[in-house]
Amino acid sequence: MVHYIEVEKLAFHYQDEPVLENISFEVDPEDFVMLTGENGAAKTTLLRNILGLLKPSRGSVRLSPVNCSGEKLVVGYVSQQIASFNTGFPSTVLELVQSGRYQRGKWFKRLDKDDKEHVRRSLESVGMWEMRNRKIGELSGGQKQRIAIARVFAADPDLFILDEPTTGMDVQAREEFYNLLRHNCMEHGKGILMVTHDHEEIRHYASKHIELVRKEDSPWRCFSMDSCKELSKPHS
Amino acid sequence: MEMFFYGFMQRAFQASFLISLIAPILGLFLILRRQSLMADTLSHISLAGVALGLLIGVNPTWTNLLVVIVIATLLEYLRQIYRTYSEISIAILMSAGMALALVLMGINDGGVTLSMTQFLFGSIVTINEQQIWLLLVLTAIVGLLYLIFRKPMYVLTFDEETAFTVGLPIKTMSILFNVLTGVTIAVIMPIVGALLVSAIIILPAAISLRLSKSFNGVILIGIVIALVGMLSGLAVSYEIGTPPGATITLILMIIFAVITLLKYSLRHIQLERLYKKTDMS
Repeated sequence: MVHYIEVEKLAFHYQDEPVLENISFEVDPEDFVMLTGENGAAKTTLLRNILGLLKPSRGSVRLSPVNCSGEKLVVGYVSQQIASFNTGFPSTVLELVQSGRYQRGKWFKRLDKDDKEHVRRSLESVGMWEMRNRKIGELSGGQKQRIAIARVFAADPDLFILDEPTTGMDVQAREEFYNLLRHNCMEHGKGILMVTHDHEEIRHYASKHIELVRKEDSPWRCFSMDSCKELSKPHS
Repeated sequence: MEMFFYGFMQRAFQASFLISLIAPILGLFLILRRQSLMADTLSHISLAGVALGLLIGVNPTWTNLLVVIVIATLLEYLRQIYRTYSEISIAILMSAGMALALVLMGINDGGVTLSMTQFLFGSIVTINEQQIWLLLVLTAIVGLLYLIFRKPMYVLTFDEETAFTVGLPIKTMSILFNVLTGVTIAVIMPIVGALLVSAIIILPAAISLRLSKSFNGVILIGIVIALVGMLSGLAVSYEIGTPPGATITLILMIIFAVITLLKYSLRHIQLERLYKKTDMS
């Protein structure tokens, strides 16, 4: 069994200040894991450790190099600040979402019909196909968030790592997005790790819940894992 | 038309044409990476390279290239150290470059003033065959690298963290980009001058950013603007006897002002029409 993410006894310190202690969990194919915690609970720090943007002070993080079919694992990441990207960046919505396909072995090749179809479906799934020729700087915060998500869907990743991806979305858009994630997870065997504050909303879709809680005995604001709870099987 | 009969003017036009092809490509990436002033820094560093060459009696082009490559690499490390305030690295090295150039010139008192003036202000009309060939090779390299690495560079420029998570070697790419920019500046500097090289690299891309929605569109329009600015600037400087580098920069500034004004007026007219329509309905 391939674990897409394997975190073992991870600890992370900012200089001398410990912020994460004793974090261990796995994310497997078909797992939809929601990661919650109060503001400042180092959720983003944990994701950045997993992605290799930060190095753990102790313990280990392992991203599987391959997916279930033995091909190179493709990771799709939506960061918390992605919607605040440079508004002057000269790119149309279509160009940006197409760039998601590059990591599918298209860095040095032309995008083919199949790639373009993927891009179209991704934009349609977030309701942004009609705006494909707009400059990204002209979009609202919620629309930018949607194209950041469309870009990740266009990459068709094996593993989604999402940091509060629904910021700026209305209730209906959020529901459609969670349904889409669940479909990807259950029907296509994708793994999902998502930081969220909407845990009441997502618990109907997710399969596991990890909560980062403050360590009682810690002099610092240090967080650890409460547990990795299995949630009741999501409805299909 | 008589200017086209002179060999030095033919070479000047050839050089302008080649610079117009590469300047907007590098300029756009520099602007989007918030490194617009890097061209200025590297041109100051170039001066130190030239001063070193003149001091030790080696062809300044080679010492210039060497110094610029070393500093372009160092720039990336400083950018990583001051990640939040990346312009600090530019400020540090710009001052260091100028200081080093002045000290080296001071040590080598006398005999270098004329050469240094040429590098400071440039002399597009004294370009020799060798410089044209060097520029041609550089244009081919930059053009080829752009065609091959356009997609990775687009992702890197859009967001470095995204680029890292999709597996791009962001550090190596950044260093190589800096080195390529440094080499370009070292080659262009004797032609347009250290003081104006950054304007010629940045202005066409800055203007075209206001005119196109798409990434490729900005590059293509930037090339057209650079061609118009460089070739007309050269012709005007010949006709009225002004320094070519400065004339080209001023013409690019005029294009920038006209386009900004036109865009503002167009937007104003569009809004007026929209208000009228709303009032009528």
